[in-house]
Amino acid sequence: MKKTGIVFLLLILAFLLVWPFIGPEYQVYLTLSFFAYSVALLGFNLLFNYTGLLSFGHALFIGVGGYTAAFLTSRFHIPYMEVSILVTILLSGVVAILIGLICVRYIKIYFAMLTLAFGMLFHSFLMKTYHLTGGDEGMSVEQPYLLGMDFSSMDQMAFFSGPYYYYSLGVLILASIAMWRIVHSPFGLCLTSIRDNPDKAEYLGIGIRKYRLLAFIISGCFTGVGGVLLAPITGHMDPGMVFWTHSGDMVFMTLVGGFSNFFGPMLGTVIFITLRDVISSYIEYWRLIFGALLAAIVILSPGGVIEVLTNLFTLIRRKIMAGENAS
Amino acid sequence: MLSVDSIDVFIKSSRILRNVSLKAGKGEVVCLIGRNGAGKTTTLRTIMGYLRPEKGSVSFQGEDITRKSTHEISRLGIGYAPEDSGIFPDLTTHENIEISTWTKTTEKSEEERIKLAYKVFPVLEGYKKRKGTQLSGGERKMLSIARALALDPELLILDEPFEGLAPTIVTEVARSIQDIIKMGPSIIISESNIYHVPDFTDTLYVIERGEIIFSGRPEEVAQEKGILKIIAGTA
Repeated sequence: MKKTGIVFLLLILAFLLVWPFIGPEYQVYLTLSFFAYSVALLGFNLLFNYTGLLSFGHALFIGVGGYTAAFLTSRFHIPYMEVSILVTILLSGVVAILIGLICVRYIKIYFAMLTLAFGMLFHSFLMKTYHLTGGDEGMSVEQPYLLGMDFSSMDQMAFFSGPYYYYSLGVLILASIAMWRIVHSPFGLCLTSIRDNPDKAEYLGIGIRKYRLLAFIISGCFTGVGGVLLAPITGHMDPGMVFWTHSGDMVFMTLVGGFSNFFGPMLGTVIFITLRDVISSYIEYWRLIFGALLAAIVILSPGGVIEVLTNLFTLIRRKIMAGENAS
Repeated sequence: MLSVDSIDVFIKSSRILRNVSLKAGKGEVVCLIGRNGAGKTTTLRTIMGYLRPEKGSVSFQGEDITRKSTHEISRLGIGYAPEDSGIFPDLTTHENIEISTWTKTTEKSEEERIKLAYKVFPVLEGYKKRKGTQLSGGERKMLSIARALALDPELLILDEPFEGLAPTIVTEVARSIQDIIKMGPSIIISESNIYHVPDFTDTLYVIERGEIIFSGRPEEVAQEKGILKIIAGTA
């Protein structure tokens, strides 16, 4: 990573660290969704950008994470967040193996449709198993213990803008470091080669199905962890969380932010969450505006908003350098 | 080392190869020559397991590889540099070479194998950090061969390595291939231009309309006027 990039990241991190002290409580609360979706999209984009597979059913893994947190906290009375995360990683991995074994045999639209189908199957399962999952009413998620500490005596908003905020930020940082290392490892480069040219990757001894399956499993685990982080914020899990439109939202966030940049999807979550909050407070049909926005982004800047910002930054830097040379 | 025995290959309902047989011994240089569309690439892709023969078999070092998958065949020790280079555009030159060292472990270390690839194609060392998209056609061709070489193969298959290259680059690539031969692997080169057949070729196979119509020493083909006409496309 370039020096300017590191400085920029550190500035954002510094801002996020002081944000709960300077920002309005509600906006700080909204930031929690950004953390959760960012972790989820790290996984989604491993599959989309680095492996070249577009999943239209990734909300399934958000559901696995969310429902795991719901079961553990409200049904089994195990409020430890770390337990929820570990069980989610395990369950998401198992689910990803089962689905992935079928899905990774296909690519392009067939892969997208298969993941969509499995996502909707899971949605139906949640709806129909009323005795287990609460059906369309869903399940409540209790406030979790963080690092073994009970914060139930705290006011809920204070919990979210304090301990839970920093916990989520910590998980996002750890997940980002882990994903950065994955995509820059030999494994990550093999995924890129498969995306670029699967036939030629095979000629070099890369078993493409095995690599695609591994990417699918890792992707599912990251998205599952995103689901665990999201669950306490919503306080409730229902089948709507795994509905295909939620998967579509994840695709939207990734495209708007910029899928070809590691941090692009994270920017997409900020745009999505902020716009949804602002637009839905004015008009009911906020998805209509989102649709138009997505069309505009895809046509005008396929690299997403991050590409626009990067180009703008380069332009400003060039102008400054040109000015310095002239003087 | 490699033995292709009477293979018939169909693509959809068209028979592309008919009863094709060829052999490459240890350390031998074999050239498969034929016009465009004669079946050279299909033969090589069948060896690599990308296409399955309807009839016949392919064996490598005594092991039947007819039904093996491409990546398994590659890991057995067959390096393949395809006609269209097929380099990975988003990876750097170095990463393109490095990737081969992760998929197959051999007696040589990763560093040795990468070093060797750069030794054969020194021009690539200057472009280590360049992405695949920033390389010229000739450099891509070299990278494609260097990448296959980094697998440390027992058999190296080069599909039309001189195709579309400027005469000066052809000389450079030919010199590099000569360097590779000195390292000891068997080599199969496909070529459509008889004048590009390397001097160091041990056995020459001529393929026409999916059939091998000649096999022998390169100097023997000079006696076969009919074969020469077919190769030149004047028959």
